[in-house]
Amino acid sequence: MDTTGHTVTITINKNQYQAVEGEILLEVARREKIDIPHLCYESSLSPYGACRLCMVEVVTCGKTEMTTACTVRVHRGLEILTDTPDVIRHRKILLELYLAEAPHSDVIKAMAIRYGVTKTRFLKKIVTGDPLLGRCVLCGLCVRVCNEIMGAGAIGFVNRGPYTIVSTPFLEENPACMGCGTCAAVCPTHAIGIEDTGEKRIMRSWSGTPVEMIRCAGCGGYIGPKPVMEYARSRIDPVMAEELQELCPACRRKQVTR
Amino acid sequence: MDEKRLDEIISRYDYPSGRILGILRDIQVSEGYIEKDLLRLLAEKIEVPVSRLYGLVTFYSFFSLQPVGRHIITLCMGTPCHVKGARTILATLEDLLGIKGEEESGKYFATTADNQFTVVIARCFGACSMSPVIQIDGNLYGYVTPEKIPEILAGYGWHP
Amino acid sequence: MRIASPEDLDAVRKIGLFKIQPDRPRIAVGLATCGIAAGGNELYDRLGSIIREGGYDIELTKSGCIGFCRQEPIVSVTIPHKPLVLLHHVTSDTAEDVIKGVLQEDIPKNLALCRVKEWDHITGMIQYGEGFETIPDYHEIPFFSNQHKIILRDAGFINPEDITEYIAAGGYSTAFSVLTGRDPDSVIDEVKRSGLRGRGGAGFPTGLKWEITKKAPGSEKFIVCNADEGDPGAYMNRNEMESDPHMLIEGMLIGAYAMGISEGLIYIRAEYPLAIERLRHAIREAKSYGLLGKEIFGTDFSFDIKIAIGAGAFVCGESTALVASIEGKIGRPHPRPPRLTDSGVWGRPTDLNNVETWCNVPVIMAKGAEWYSGTGVRGNSGTKVFSLVGKVDNPGMIEVPLGTSLHRIIYDIGGGGAGGKRVKAVQTGGPSGGCIPERFFNTGVDFESLLTMGSMMGSGGLVVMDEDTDMVDIARYFINFAASESCGKCLPCREGLKHTLLILNRILAGKAGVEDITLLETLADTIQATSLCGLGQTATNPVQTTLKYFREEYDALIVQDLPDGGR
Repeated sequence: MDTTGHTVTITINKNQYQAVEGEILLEVARREKIDIPHLCYESSLSPYGACRLCMVEVVTCGKTEMTTACTVRVHRGLEILTDTPDVIRHRKILLELYLAEAPHSDVIKAMAIRYGVTKTRFLKKIVTGDPLLGRCVLCGLCVRVCNEIMGAGAIGFVNRGPYTIVSTPFLEENPACMGCGTCAAVCPTHAIGIEDTGEKRIMRSWSGTPVEMIRCAGCGGYIGPKPVMEYARSRIDPVMAEELQELCPACRRKQVTR
Repeated sequence: MDEKRLDEIISRYDYPSGRILGILRDIQVSEGYIEKDLLRLLAEKIEVPVSRLYGLVTFYSFFSLQPVGRHIITLCMGTPCHVKGARTILATLEDLLGIKGEEESGKYFATTADNQFTVVIARCFGACSMSPVIQIDGNLYGYVTPEKIPEILAGYGWHP
Repeated sequence: MRIASPEDLDAVRKIGLFKIQPDRPRIAVGLATCGIAAGGNELYDRLGSIIREGGYDIELTKSGCIGFCRQEPIVSVTIPHKPLVLLHHVTSDTAEDVIKGVLQEDIPKNLALCRVKEWDHITGMIQYGEGFETIPDYHEIPFFSNQHKIILRDAGFINPEDITEYIAAGGYSTAFSVLTGRDPDSVIDEVKRSGLRGRGGAGFPTGLKWEITKKAPGSEKFIVCNADEGDPGAYMNRNEMESDPHMLIEGMLIGAYAMGISEGLIYIRAEYPLAIERLRHAIREAKSYGLLGKEIFGTDFSFDIKIAIGAGAFVCGESTALVASIEGKIGRPHPRPPRLTDSGVWGRPTDLNNVETWCNVPVIMAKGAEWYSGTGVRGNSGTKVFSLVGKVDNPGMIEVPLGTSLHRIIYDIGGGGAGGKRVKAVQTGGPSGGCIPERFFNTGVDFESLLTMGSMMGSGGLVVMDEDTDMVDIARYFINFAASESCGKCLPCREGLKHTLLILNRILAGKAGVEDITLLETLADTIQATSLCGLGQTATNPVQTTLKYFREEYDALIVQDLPDGGR
């Protein structure tokens, strides 16, 4: 990142704000409570630019150009308009497309209503039996955290164009999945289903991949997926790992207070 | 394909650029498709998640996960072929071979019941001046008309 | 042998010249993909067996493609001190007549297309000779006489699988003088002054791109040749690589020297097996003559070229997707910046140019920027190769100065509509381009004029449509293409194109009302404005141009009083 640390003044919707040179415009907008809708942005990942909802207009020498707020980096004198008639017009069509693509997503419905979009003129996707519950908008956050942050590579994009989905290889159970659930945590439309049955965690959206759970060494209750614990152990000092007992939060508190 | 042959293919690529797609391409050319267990084995050998390789083979149209027939007929659907009646050629092929594929699925794929012919669609061979064009097992046929197809197919063992 | 001095180069040139003009008759069969599909290989074998069996003193060889596809298979015949004669529609059945004609120095009239007394390879001149007065001259054939060949100067005249013939036509002598006598920055300056713009479609100034790459921080950089010719109906690059692969290699070598880069890559589509084979062969040849590899021409400059093969994805013509593909990833574009010139292949500064752009480089350096910019029009210097296909009488591979009118291309060179039909429109720029109606055929073909028409240059495919072509169906065809080639990353392209296709299907099925046309226009506008990469941003051009110029064809399909607005 080319952050130089200089504080610069930028203009958003005719108001002036202070920002750090090189930071992402969308971050500035979030901090300053300027509403720019978005689905695929996550500050810990590199800019992706897929959902297109955060499109804004950049003003340069009196001319405007549409671009995504999640890919613009702040520089001195940057001038932005976030709610021009053009931006709103296109955003409404994009929301109509999302309503058709993810017809069961309440998050999308709520976003659309704020722009006065209550129904879509486009044919809704048939989502019967969809493991992602008719809510996936292919923002790619789950794929990116699984591969780039967790390093598990359990899920990925399958097919291309309008046939793109997120799933496991061959749409089969994938032992590479650690059951960490980070995918579900970052999903903006709550599309990913995880079910804890006790001794197993079932990744409903990922071809029903079962993940073994481990028990608390104290009380015997199920506390988390085994591969996650093993992964965590492998990354810390082996001596500490040896001593570290797998305890649920309640038993750990007891042990600490003892 | 056995493991030894897979190792040999992998060993052809010591240069990182173009390596993974090159290996997959060589498997596709050699076998006519990419078998599931072979893809898993490859992932293990080159230390890449299976999900990534599966993403590649379902993204790029050159690869197929289904076994193909003995002869592969590739129909060109480039613009010149389209304006000169490629769709009629496809209909004739489907009719003669008794198959039906999904034209708008992005990946057309249909194999005859006797496993002799597989029909796929290419976006353009760049043999546009002789459109419409089909290719059978690497041999190109230009200026194809529905009337010429039975004779061309007969050269590959087809009979009505 | 390794070429390290002008004398070495001259020695190889003499070997090549003797192959082009041997002291006995020479027959060359045009064997690019089209020639082969037209039966060229069978013809080559038949000619070979006749010569062998008869014990005739005739040289049989192969050549690239001269571009007159309708006349395939094309054979060129040279008899010492006589003009080269192009024969057309030669088949295995007429092979005997060809041999007989050559031996008796009397070419059969029905097979002769034209004669060439001398040929200007620009980097060198070949004198063939006088005679055969009854055969029309090359310049009397309208298909040829209206063209201006700079890039295609060798195609059809030399054997693309023999480096010595390329050298005989003056090849690599430019690279030699550049590498041994020119300052790298002055090479960039020359290319800048020539006005050369990217031939892949966008038309970015080549010299400027080189300069930016050169100035980018870092010592390890790449130059890449984009040979992923994806536009359906375009095969210029295929022919350039199949007919004259060394022209591309020489162009890349000069560019690498100018930018001080030692690693080159050619990203080529899998659908071009013959071009891949010829390039591989050419790279091997160049290495064995010391024209690639370490210490080229005995200087301290080293440069090598590797080939990476695509796997069938139109979107990989987009620069960031192309890089992803080279790195073994799914070809999904990422937002720019960073530009490739800052962070390209494996994160290193990368200069990416199209095949034809590279092919322009040797001739610019050989003849100079002033000479080069003397062809074409202001701001659009040089020539452009086009594939003229579809419903045109003379389909083929042609080359004209930029700025040449569509009328001249389609009527004077192409001979108008096939079978005497009336031409209705021409589609330029592939799936990213648009349909230009006949009434605008006086438009000159240059980057800006095509954009004004709502179309674009693209890589150079010109698909002619006649009175029978249904323009709404053409729009549907392109949207179907773009939707199935969309990578699926950004919403407007992935979902927007799908719905555009559904609306067009409804219109073509006679189940659409006026509001569907409005929705089609609105949606196209949003896809264009909000898509992540060039594929999506331009994918609706075929819809927008057909709506603009052929609205009546849409209107004719619209049902006026659909109950419930058609839904």
